[in-house]
This record gives sequence, structure tokens and C-alpha cells, in this order.
Amino acid sequence: MSAIKSVFSDSKSAFIPYISLGDPNYDLCVDWADALIRGGADILELGIPFSDPVADGPVIQKAFKRALANPFSMDTILETTEKIHSLHPHIPLVYLTYFNPIFHYGFEKFAEKAKIAGIQGMIIPDLPYDTPETDELFKSLKRRGVDLIHLVTPATPLNRMKGIRDFASGFIYYVTSYGVTGERKSISADLEDRIKTTKEVFSLPVSAGFGISAPDQAKEISQYADGIIIGSAVQRIIEENGSNPSLCRKKLEEYAQSISGSLRGKNL
Amino acid sequence: MAKERSFTEKEGYFGDFGGRYSPEILTEALIELEDTYNKLRKDKKFQKDLEFYRRNYIGRPSPLTYAEKLTKAWGGAKIWLKREDLNHTGAHKINNTIGQALIAKAMGKRRIIAETGAGQHGVATATVGALFEFETAIFMGEEDLRRQKLNAIRMQMLGAKVIGVSSGTATLKDATSEAMRDWALNVSNTHYIVGSVIGPHPFPTIVRDFQKVVGDESKKQFKKENDKLPDAVVACVGGGSNAMGMYYAFLNDKKVKLYGVEAGGRGSSPGEHSATMLFGKTGFLHGTKTLVIQDDGGQVVPAHSVSAGLDYPGVGPEHAHLHSSGRVKYETVSDQGALDAFMEVCRIEGIIPALETAHAFRFAKDLAKELGKKKDILICLSGRGDKDVAEVARLVGLSQGDLI
Repeated sequence: MSAIKSVFSDSKSAFIPYISLGDPNYDLCVDWADALIRGGADILELGIPFSDPVADGPVIQKAFKRALANPFSMDTILETTEKIHSLHPHIPLVYLTYFNPIFHYGFEKFAEKAKIAGIQGMIIPDLPYDTPETDELFKSLKRRGVDLIHLVTPATPLNRMKGIRDFASGFIYYVTSYGVTGERKSISADLEDRIKTTKEVFSLPVSAGFGISAPDQAKEISQYADGIIIGSAVQRIIEENGSNPSLCRKKLEEYAQSISGSLRGKNL
Repeated sequence: MAKERSFTEKEGYFGDFGGRYSPEILTEALIELEDTYNKLRKDKKFQKDLEFYRRNYIGRPSPLTYAEKLTKAWGGAKIWLKREDLNHTGAHKINNTIGQALIAKAMGKRRIIAETGAGQHGVATATVGALFEFETAIFMGEEDLRRQKLNAIRMQMLGAKVIGVSSGTATLKDATSEAMRDWALNVSNTHYIVGSVIGPHPFPTIVRDFQKVVGDESKKQFKKENDKLPDAVVACVGGGSNAMGMYYAFLNDKKVKLYGVEAGGRGSSPGEHSATMLFGKTGFLHGTKTLVIQDDGGQVVPAHSVSAGLDYPGVGPEHAHLHSSGRVKYETVSDQGALDAFMEVCRIEGIIPALETAHAFRFAKDLAKELGKKKDILICLSGRGDKDVAEVARLVGLSQGDLI
């Protein structure tokens, strides 16, 4: 069983927090990852900063801007990933990245080095399944046992889900709302049904993300989702406290504990 | 028409470029747009409506002007101008916004959004927003709002909400990203009127199709006047919509040399120019695979041009293909060169061109000498320069006193 799949074999929903690598620098983000994992993260999503993140809201845009104030190179990204992996080798790491930096680095080289650095899965919001590049990347990752995790949204019809199915592994990232990443107060009414349908189509665990920030939201959604993904709320803690590393660490760990503690067994 | 195929899209691709690389949330809207457009392009009523608005609202066909004085001053090939500056709203942009507004209406959308650099696309979108009673929002970089205040005011007068974008470099690239984010949030009731031959499929095709009227008319007018085709066609290229519209009619006329002029800015270092063909590498930006100015890590490098409309680090995918196939030659003109040409065309020909077009003029000046007196050059005068007068006056040091 892959490391990602084994996380979901538990009856409790998985907590999947996200951080942008390099924010505010490449040393401190290792500390943030450590704090989140100690606080209860089951899988950690690592964002590779990109200059034009069209699927992200203001919090993550600002995080990328701070990260890109440091010299960017894919080798630094991979080294940082390896450091996080060596601290907690049993926690699966997943990259969330836009396609251009990977394409520029080269598929094969990237897949190979990411696997060595400890990456178990990849999420690429601007690479739809029906492109020649997905086909190529999927094969390259599959050979190495790295999952290609796809996004399914409220606007994705059933026939498209069936198309995505051929290229999806690990888990499905279900986008809970229209728009871009960012904290929201309300969650759409048909979320439970949509997640149920998604599970049926893919026979893969389904994790929900986009707009989730508070423990009570996480608790509610965890009743029917296999995992809860939280990006902007985590990143906001870094934005507000990053200049005081010990305080920031503490807040991240406490936040992770509060979310992880709120997740419970699924009713489905 | 079989020969044309090598230059046209196959499932949204132009050679190796193009495609649909957008977030999943937008995909259904793009498919809906593609399906609707494929039906409408063959629909007689749609074509009739489009023709009606072209003739009675935009003021088409736009004239072809022989620029006698520029020809004399430059001492070489004859200079001809396709007068998109005489369209309603003052630029070629209205050709596309009228067409896309009709598509939006057919899809039952109530709201339209757009990104804009120089503001001409914003004005053209705000205009169709008023005409067809859409709720309209225009995204514009804060830096461009400063440079193109007049157009921002025009948009507001036309009833559009102008949203300043302060992220990134606060120019067209960031306004485009912000418009895509808005579309992702409001995709069920909103149509995004992309302003150039960029973005995910089907936008590059749709915009090209609405702009090809420029080349079609030019070809007809030039033939009628001269009983031949021009020897060279010159257009400025930012995203590339006026150029693509102009070239399309001539792609299979191999004797007609096609030139695109990009912004050479103030130097060749990253961040100093918008010369995508010269410095760009294949990449993925704003939903399409195209040439992109990027650094060694695959991060998009901010572009620069004195002209807000050319200030974009990518280019339409069909242009990237025309560049790699060698059908179109892409050149650069510096900020200073464009400013010089701007003043020259004003004073010699009595036409205030857009700063974007001034790049094409500066290149054509050298080309005219190179080709010699027996040849003809057709320049796409993509828009008028009213929007640029304050910025040019500031840059060339004209004070209020000088102006009086």
C-alpha cells in the first residue's frame, strides 16, 4: 500500500495542511512543516512558489511573493523537501505547484528528484487531465510510484470525472467552492452529495479543500470527506507571525492540534 | 483552402502551442464557450448581427489611407495605413468585444469582465457592456491606471466598475490573473471577454476570428486601389490581436512579408523589455502554452514597455507558432524609438497614433528604406493615441507652457 493510501485506511479523516515553501525563507519553512506535523498533520502539502498563481487567492499570492523574494531554484525546493522528509519520514509529502516551473525543469528530472526528496504525490491546478503533458507526466510519476492527484470542482460534470479517472491516483482533491483558495464562512449545501458522487466515480479517497479554516467546518466536512485540506488559514498564521519564529511555530502547532482534534470518524 | 490548415488550430493547438491549461473550475465554461461559438460561427443570424454592429456601430469598413507625407519623408516604399484608429472607441479592440458580447448574450450571461493594459480593451468592453446592458467589471493594474487615466475615466462613464490590481507588477499580466480569479468565482453568470489572442482555448481562435476583419478588409481595399497585394505588412505585437487579425488574410500569400514589432523597452536585461519572441522560452501562462519571458526557475519575469498595451511577458500561441514556422518575422523597437515615431507621425501625417502602433511605425521607417520606392508597406494603425498624450508629453518633456 502506498504511503498516501495507508493514511486513508484509518477511519478518521486525514488532516492535510499546506505551506508555501520559501516563506519567509527556506530554513524557517522547515520549522513550520515540523510544527504542523507535530500538531497532527497526516499528509503535508508543500507549495512550490510561482509568479502567477491564477488559482490562488490573496493569502497564498502574498506567500508566494514573500517566497520569491528569496532566490528561487528547483534544486533549493528539492533540498528543502528532503530536509522536511528526513525529519518525519513517515508523513507523506505532496507538492502543489503550477505547471510552468516543472516543465521548465524537465518532467523526468523533476519526477526522479522529487521522488528521492520524499514526495509521494503531485497536485497541479493548471494541468487538466486532457492535455498531452498530463499523459506524459502521469506515466513518468506512475513509474516511480508517485501519485498524480487531480482536482474535481462543483463545476466538473460526471463525464469529465470519468475522463479524469484514468489519470488519478492517491486521492481526489475536491474543491468545495467556486473561485480561488481562501477562507470562507459558508460551505455549499450540496457538498456532501458531490463528495459522495466523487467517491463513487473514482473509488479513491476524497479530500476537501478551498475555503476551510475553522475547526467546526473541518469537523462537519470530516463526516463525509476522507481528508480536510487547509491552506490559506495556515498560511495566514505564517503571514501574521513569521517574523517571530518561535511564536509562529507554537501557533502552527496549536492550530494543527485544534483541527486534527476536531476531525472524527466518517459516517459514510 | 486546404493550404490554410497548416496555420490554423487543431483542437485548440497551433503547432506545438495553444491548448487549454486553466484551473479545472473554468473548464466547463471554456467548453460551453467553445460549443456555443462553434454553433454561432455557422449561424446566419449571428453573422448578420455581427455585420450590423460592425457597419452601424463600429463604423466598418475602416479606411485604408495612403500616407503620402510619411512616404515622402521616409524616402522609400509607399506607406499605407489600415485605420483601426477610426473605429468607434478608437482602436481595433471593439471588433472583438462586439463579437464576444453577442456570444455572451447567446449564452445567457448577465455579467462581463475583462482585463486591460492600455485601457482600449477596457473601454471597448465597457462600451458593449453599456450597449447590451451587461454588468461590467474591468481589471486594470495600478501602474496602468496611472498611465492611462483617461481610459479609466471613460470606462467608469460607460458604467463599468474599474478594479485596480496592485498584486505583482500591477500591470497587464496581473490584471489578467485577477480577471481569471474573478471568472473562477462567478463563472455561472459571467463571461470573461479576453482582449487578445491569448488565454486558454478557445479564446485565441475566437479573438483571431473577430479580428480577421482587419486583414480581410485591408486585402480587398489594397487590391482595389493597387491591383496587387502589399509587399510587406507590419503590426505591433503585445498579446497580438491586431497583428493576428491583420496577418490572417495574408498567411497563404507567401510573397507578402509579414512583420510583428514587439517592445524592446529600454534594454535587453530581464524586466527591461516585452520582447517575447527574442527572449521568451516555451512555457505555460494564463491557460495557454506559448512563449513566455521567464527566468531559469520558470518564474515569469515582469515585462516593461513605455506602452501599457505591449507590456505583457507572453504572446498569443498562434504568434508563437508563426514565429517558429518562420512565416512572420518578429522585430523589436525601443521605448525611445517608439516615442520618436509617435512624434514624427503626429507632425508629418497629422495622425496621433497609439504608442503601441508607434513601435510598428518606427520599424516600418527602416523597412521602407530597405525595400525601396517600388514597394508597398501596409501598417496596421491599431488605435489612436489620445490615451497616450499625457504620458508622452511627460516623457518627451513637453510642459504645459510648451503645449500652449
